[in-house]
Amino acid sequence: MKKSKSTSSKKKPRHDYRRDLETAAKQMILIRRVDTLIKLILRSIIKNLKVEHAGLLLYEKSKDSYIVTVSRGKGGLKIPTGLTKITKDNTLVKYFTDKQLRIFGEGPLILGKLSSYLNSRTTRASKELRIFLQDLAFQFSLYNAKACIPGFFREELIFILFLGQKVNRKPLNQEELGFLSVLSSDAVMAIQNAWYFQDLDKQLNRNKNLFLQTVMALATAIEAKDKYTSGHTERVSYYSLLLADELRRTNNDLQKDWDKFIQDLKIASLLHDIGKIGLREGVLNKPGFLTDEERSEMQKHPLVGSSILNQVDEFNQPILGVKYHHERYDGEGYPEKLKGEKIPLIAQVIAVADTYDAMVSDRPYRKGMPKDQVIQEIRKNRGRQFSPVTVDAFLSLCKQGKI
Amino acid sequence: MPKVLVVDDEVEITVFLCNFLKRFDIESQKASDPKTALAAFNQFKPDWVFLDIKMPDKDGFELLEEFKKINSKVKAIMITGKDDKESQDKAKGLGACDYIVKPLDLEELHEKIEKHIL
Repeated sequence: MKKSKSTSSKKKPRHDYRRDLETAAKQMILIRRVDTLIKLILRSIIKNLKVEHAGLLLYEKSKDSYIVTVSRGKGGLKIPTGLTKITKDNTLVKYFTDKQLRIFGEGPLILGKLSSYLNSRTTRASKELRIFLQDLAFQFSLYNAKACIPGFFREELIFILFLGQKVNRKPLNQEELGFLSVLSSDAVMAIQNAWYFQDLDKQLNRNKNLFLQTVMALATAIEAKDKYTSGHTERVSYYSLLLADELRRTNNDLQKDWDKFIQDLKIASLLHDIGKIGLREGVLNKPGFLTDEERSEMQKHPLVGSSILNQVDEFNQPILGVKYHHERYDGEGYPEKLKGEKIPLIAQVIAVADTYDAMVSDRPYRKGMPKDQVIQEIRKNRGRQFSPVTVDAFLSLCKQGKI
Repeated sequence: MPKVLVVDDEVEITVFLCNFLKRFDIESQKASDPKTALAAFNQFKPDWVFLDIKMPDKDGFELLEEFKKINSKVKAIMITGKDDKESQDKAKGLGACDYIVKPLDLEELHEKIEKHIL
């Protein structure tokens, strides 16, 4: 009884590396940013192994080198992010990537082992190998490192993790080295994962841009045909987005997903007149008044536009803006005589932006109205032609000097 | 032993470089803005300066010119963000001895310290 007590008091509670590893791995898989991920890994190492400093040289394709991505440690041992690099012909990289040179086996390379090999009289290394190993030890000294751990994905060396000495100055024991090996292979998977996500994001962005550029191209097609209204589309889009920002600020509960709404609005405002592409030239570019027949043809453009855009799934929301931007709040608009809040917000916004720009802009057959007068006109139509919230947002923007 | 003044607008970099120089028993001081740099230059009287070229208030070249006015014999190693010939030529024209490109290869830095300063 007494005996067992004395042994248990001698023995310090053992560090549970397995649990640390599980925690680290669980956290890692959730993180998609490479630098955040590496910070987490280094923190876990410093905390668990109690080393003075640790850093990670991560392979960067564009520079074809390994760059210090994160380094942690006190004072001058911490290397600022991105400050230093090692190139592919560096002895450290060569050691880890060349099986013939990897004489201490796979996994962590310990300076202590390397030094005692070099200092041992029984070592029968060739002169070349000796020079190589001496240079390897020198590379360790440059980074104040006591251990380097490679990170491989298949055959590729993705990173080199370097560790300073332990705070208690003892060498790393077998268990700690095992912890590092497992952590390193977990880290490889997590970094690889994060890289995939980054690539995916890039690809997604590229597609998004392509889509938006296609929309712009379509919008230009209308402008090319309607020579009187050059720049109108872009201005309507500009005012629409201003209005949306203002609405988001003042009436946030109008939309659940504002970012999506603004995306859709951008597309809808650029394409709101796309239906005019189907109009006869004589009607579209006619200076002065239209006959009844011509007017009813003109008034078809929202429907024509919506049927053009119907071909594209992504346009299901923008279509509402195109189709209903000539509806009136009092129900006297076209094409469906929608009334009040039946008119989608996206169309309410475009209606104000479209009317404002049409009224202030010059046309070959008439001068634009003075801005003050147009603002008066829009104010007068609050709740008649336009929805109250959008007019309020519009007036607020005028007050702020944004319009 | 020669003395080195390290000037970079990023404090962390100056800390690291001074610490690196300490391994060679080289005495150094750090500065991360032009005013401190000039004051340190006058007081510390370094034989060498490590100068970051791209800094917000005054760039490394301007600073080097001012250093040279105070002590025409001062020698400089410039630290540049990119490997372009233009700034290297400019560095040489102003009498800088060498330049190092970020991200630094510590082996190269080690060599340059041995070659020039020691």
